[in-house]
Amino acid sequence: MAVRTLTKYCYDCHTGDKAEGGVRVDFLATDGKLEDHVELVDKILLVLKEQQMPPADAEQPDGAERVQSIEWIEQRLRQFDCGSVSRPGRVTMRRLNRTEYNNTVRDLTGLDLKLANDFPSDDVGNGFDNIGDVLSLPPILMEKYLTAAKQIADEVMKSPDAAKKVFPRQANDPNNVDEVVEVARANASSFAQRAFRRPLDADETERLFNLMRLAWDANAKKEEIMQTLITAVLASPHFIYRVEEDDPQDFVDGVRPLNDFEMASRLSYFLWSSMPDDRLVELAKEGKLHTAEQLNAEVDRMLSDPKAKALVENFAGQWLQLRDLEALSPDPVKFAAFDATLRRSMRRETELLFTSILDENRSILELLSASYTYLDERLAKHYGIEGVSGNEFQKVDLMGKRRGVLMHGSILLLTSNPTRTSPVKRGKWVLENLLAEPPPPPPPNVPELGAAGETLGTLRQQMEQHRANPNCAVCHVKMDAVGFGLENFDAIGAWREADGREKIDPSGILPGGRTFNGPLDLVQILVEDKKVEFTRCLSLKMLTYALGRGLGVADRCTISSIVDNLAKDNYRFSTLIKSIVTSPPFTHQESGR
Amino acid sequence: MSSLQNSKLSRRTVLRGLGVSLALPWLEATSSVAKAAAVASSPTRMAFIFVPNGVVMNNWVPKTEGYGFELSPTLRPLAPVQDDLMVITGLTHDKGRANGDGAGDHARSASVFLTGSQPRKTDGELIRSGMSVDQVAAKAVGQRTRFSSLELGVDPGRMAGNCDSGYSCAYSSNISWSGESNPVGKEVNPKLVFERLFGGGKPSEVDKSQQQREALQKSVLDFIADDAKRLQSKLGRNDNRKLDEYMTGVREVERRIGTRTAKPADINVDYAIPDGIPGDYQDHIRMMCDLMVLAFQTDSTRIATMMFANAGDNKNYRKIGVAEGHHDLSHHGDNPEKLEKISQINLFHIQQLSYLLTKMKSIREGDRNLLDNSMVVYGSGLSDGNRHNHDNLPILLAGSGGGTIDSGRHVRYDLETPVCNLFMSMLDRVGVDTPFIGDSTGRLPGLSL
Repeated sequence: MAVRTLTKYCYDCHTGDKAEGGVRVDFLATDGKLEDHVELVDKILLVLKEQQMPPADAEQPDGAERVQSIEWIEQRLRQFDCGSVSRPGRVTMRRLNRTEYNNTVRDLTGLDLKLANDFPSDDVGNGFDNIGDVLSLPPILMEKYLTAAKQIADEVMKSPDAAKKVFPRQANDPNNVDEVVEVARANASSFAQRAFRRPLDADETERLFNLMRLAWDANAKKEEIMQTLITAVLASPHFIYRVEEDDPQDFVDGVRPLNDFEMASRLSYFLWSSMPDDRLVELAKEGKLHTAEQLNAEVDRMLSDPKAKALVENFAGQWLQLRDLEALSPDPVKFAAFDATLRRSMRRETELLFTSILDENRSILELLSASYTYLDERLAKHYGIEGVSGNEFQKVDLMGKRRGVLMHGSILLLTSNPTRTSPVKRGKWVLENLLAEPPPPPPPNVPELGAAGETLGTLRQQMEQHRANPNCAVCHVKMDAVGFGLENFDAIGAWREADGREKIDPSGILPGGRTFNGPLDLVQILVEDKKVEFTRCLSLKMLTYALGRGLGVADRCTISSIVDNLAKDNYRFSTLIKSIVTSPPFTHQESGR
Repeated sequence: MSSLQNSKLSRRTVLRGLGVSLALPWLEATSSVAKAAAVASSPTRMAFIFVPNGVVMNNWVPKTEGYGFELSPTLRPLAPVQDDLMVITGLTHDKGRANGDGAGDHARSASVFLTGSQPRKTDGELIRSGMSVDQVAAKAVGQRTRFSSLELGVDPGRMAGNCDSGYSCAYSSNISWSGESNPVGKEVNPKLVFERLFGGGKPSEVDKSQQQREALQKSVLDFIADDAKRLQSKLGRNDNRKLDEYMTGVREVERRIGTRTAKPADINVDYAIPDGIPGDYQDHIRMMCDLMVLAFQTDSTRIATMMFANAGDNKNYRKIGVAEGHHDLSHHGDNPEKLEKISQINLFHIQQLSYLLTKMKSIREGDRNLLDNSMVVYGSGLSDGNRHNHDNLPILLAGSGGGTIDSGRHVRYDLETPVCNLFMSMLDRVGVDTPFIGDSTGRLPGLSL
C-alpha cells in the first residue's frame, strides 16, 4: 500500500540518477539499507509529515495514504542496523540561556543575583530553550551581557565573601610589588578558568594580565582593576557560550571524543543547568571523566545534590509544558474556583511526582500510572479528596480516583481552552508529549467548520460529524479517542459527570480496536500497550534536552539502546540518565567544518 | 540631530509620563526637547506594529474610498487622526503562504510581516527568514541616533512546547530580523526600556571621571572582541554563525559609546521607576507606546517595531467581555457571535493605536507634529484568521512621512500587490536606497498625489 502510494505520487520526479534535487525515493522500496541514506530518510519523512511534498501543483495523496506511507517508513527504520552507523551528530555552540546564566553566576560568585531575568526571553526550538541553533544573540542581549557583567563585578567587590570566592589568593606582604602582581595574575587566571570552565593557555593568561595593566596605566584603583577584569571575563564569548573547539587535528573520520573538561560541562549543564563544581573540575584535571563507571558515579552524586532540581524545573517544566501554566487564565465566570494559588499547587503537584520518582529512582512508567500523588489542602479539595489539610504538600493515596500525570490538574488545564475542555488538544498533547507520535498538521484547505450549517449535539457528536471526512479521520480518530476518555475532567481538572445538561460518555475505541471505559481504563491501556512508545518518547525528549539539539534518524540507535537499557532495569529513572550521559552523542562531537 | 545635554527633560517628568493616566499635558512641559529635535530638519521616523490572528475584514474595510472615506466600525476610534491616516486595502504577503511548506500560517504571518521572505520550516536547525524593512533602514540611517532601532513587545517568547506546526518559536515571537538568520529580540518590560534609553543613573557612576570610565570600557570591549576573533578559526560553520551575532553586538555597543549624543537626559534619581511589567494588558501596551513616542521625541532612535501580541496568541480579553482565547476565536467558522467577539478584540487594538497616534499628533515639531514626521504601519500578516489567507491584508499607514504622503484616504490596490512595495516606498522617504525588500516588485504608487 505504502509502496504503491510512493510509486504513484513520488516516482515521477524522484527516481534514478536524474532524480529531482538529487532526492531518490525508490531506494526505500528496493534497497534494504536505509543506513546508507540517513539524511535522505530524515528529509523524506519531514516533507511527508509537513505536507511539503508532493508540490502543491501536483496530485496529492489523501490523508490515509500519507499517514500510511509515513508509518511504513518508520516501520522500516525499526530494522535499522545500528552496527553500521556511528554518527554522534554535531551540537552547535550553545549560548547560556537565562536560567543557565543565572545559575552559573550564582555558582561562580556565590551571589544569587538573577540578572538574566531582565534579558529578552530565549526562543524555544525542538520543545526546549537550550537549543544551540535557536539561541541567538541580538545586539540588545550583548548590551545586557555587558551591563550585567559590570553589575556582577560591582556586587562582587562589595561583598567580602564573594570577593574571596572569586579571588581566593592574597598577598602576604601588600607592599611587595612583585608578590602583589603575582597574586593578581594568579587570581585573574583562576577566576577565568572557572568562568570559562577549562584551563587557560599561556597566551590567554598573558592577555588577561595585559588588560589589568592597561587599567593600571589608566590610574584605576585596585578595585577598579579587578572590576574591569571580571567584566571582561563575564562578557567574553568563552563565558557566554559553551565552546567545544573544532580543531581538525582532533578528529578521526570527522568524530572526536570530548575532552574531560567538556564532559564536565555537558554533565553539569544537563543535570544542574549550571557550571561544573570543584569535584567535576578535579576529575577533569585528573583525566578521569570519560569512563562509564566514573560518569555513572557522578550522575548518582549530582542527582543527590539540591542543584538537581534544575532538571525538574527546566526539563520537566518544558517537556510537560508546566511553564506554560503561568500564562493561562480560565474564564472566571465558569471557573470561579480557579485562582493563582490553585495554579501554583497544580504545577507543584506534577513537579513533586517527577521529583519523587527521580529521587527514589523509581520506574519512569509511574509518571503515567502512579496511584499516588502529592497534594496540599487546596488541590485535594479541588480533586474531592478528603483528609489533607494545610499548605504543605503530602503524599496521598489516590484510592483509584485518578492515576498519573494525565489526571493532574496541571496537564488537564493546559490542554483546555479558557471556557471549555478541548478533547483534541488533550489527545494531541498525549500523542506529542507522551508517545512521540505527533499528528501531522491538518491538510491545507480543510473545509470550514460550521460553514455548511450549524452542527448540533454534544461536543462528542459535533466532533464525530467533523470526522466524517476520511482525510481528517485518519488523525482525529487517535486524538479524539484519548481526549474524550478524559472528558470527566473539566477545563481546570475537576471531576464532573456531566457537561451542561449532557451526561459525559468517557468510553472510546483506540486505533487497533481496544475499547476502554473511562480515564482509569485508558491509562491502564497506555501503560500496558504503549510502554515502549512512552519510554521512547521520554528518551527522545531528554536526549534532546541533554544535547541541546534536535534529533535525527542517525540518533535512532542511541534511542533504541536507551529504551533497551530501561526495559532491562525496570525502567528506573537513573538508568535513563546514565544511558544518555554514556551515549556517543553525549560523549562525542562531530566536526562542523 | 538633537543634543540632549542641555535638555530640560527631567527623569521625573519622563516618569510621570509613564504613568497610566496620561491625560496630563506632560509633553508641553518638555517642549524644549521637542523643539531641539525639531531644529533644522525634523527627521522622519518609521514604526511598525503587528497584531496577530487577522481581523474581521467586513468590519475593517471602509465602504468608501478616497478622501473623506467613511470609517468602518473597527476603525472608528481613529476618527481624531483620520486625516493622518491611509487605509491600504488589497496588499498581499505571498511569502506568508505555504508555497509547499504545509501548515504554520501563524508563524509565517509574523516572520513574513516585515521581511516578505519565505521562512525556512524548521523547529531548530538553520533558522532563516530575511532582513526586515526596519532593520534595512536601521542599518542605513540608524547610525545617526544612539539606538539604531528599538524593538518592543508585550508578550515574552513562549516558555515551552512548540509554537506552530514545525516552526521554531523564533518565527512567532519576532518581526524584526537583522539578518536572514538573526531575529532581533524584543523588550517587553517598560522599566528596562526606560533604563536602556535614559540610563539608570547610578550614583557610583556619576562621581567617577567620564574619561577614565570610557577608557576602561573600551579596553573591555577590545578584549572581548579579540577573544571572539581568536575563537573564529577554532569553530565549525554553524558555531561561527553564532559568533558573528556576538561580534555584531560588540560593534553596536562600541558605536554607541563613540556617538557623542550618548548623553542621557539630566537625571533626577529620587523617583521610583515603574515596577516592571504592568498587570493590565492595556496599561502595558500604552506604556510601550509612551516609550516609543519618547524615544522618537528625544531622537534616541528613528525606527521602532512593536508586537501588540505574538503570532497565534491565545490570550483572552476578559476586560472587554471576551472570555475565549483570541486564536481559538479566530477559527470562527462564520459563527456571528464569534465574529462579533473578534471584532471587539480588533477594536480594542485599534483603540490602543489611536492612543499612540493621537499622542504623536499632540507633539509639536516646528510647523508640524511628530505624527506628520512619521510613517506608522499597523497591520496583521493574516487577513481572515479562519481562512488563514495572506492576501487582502488589513494594513494602515499613519503619518505623512514629513509631508510626502497624502494621507486621509482609503486606497485600494490590485490584489496580489506585495506589501513589500509599500516598504520600498517608505524607504525612499527616509533616503534608504535598496534594490528590493523580500518579494517587492517596485514601489506602491499613489501614496502622494
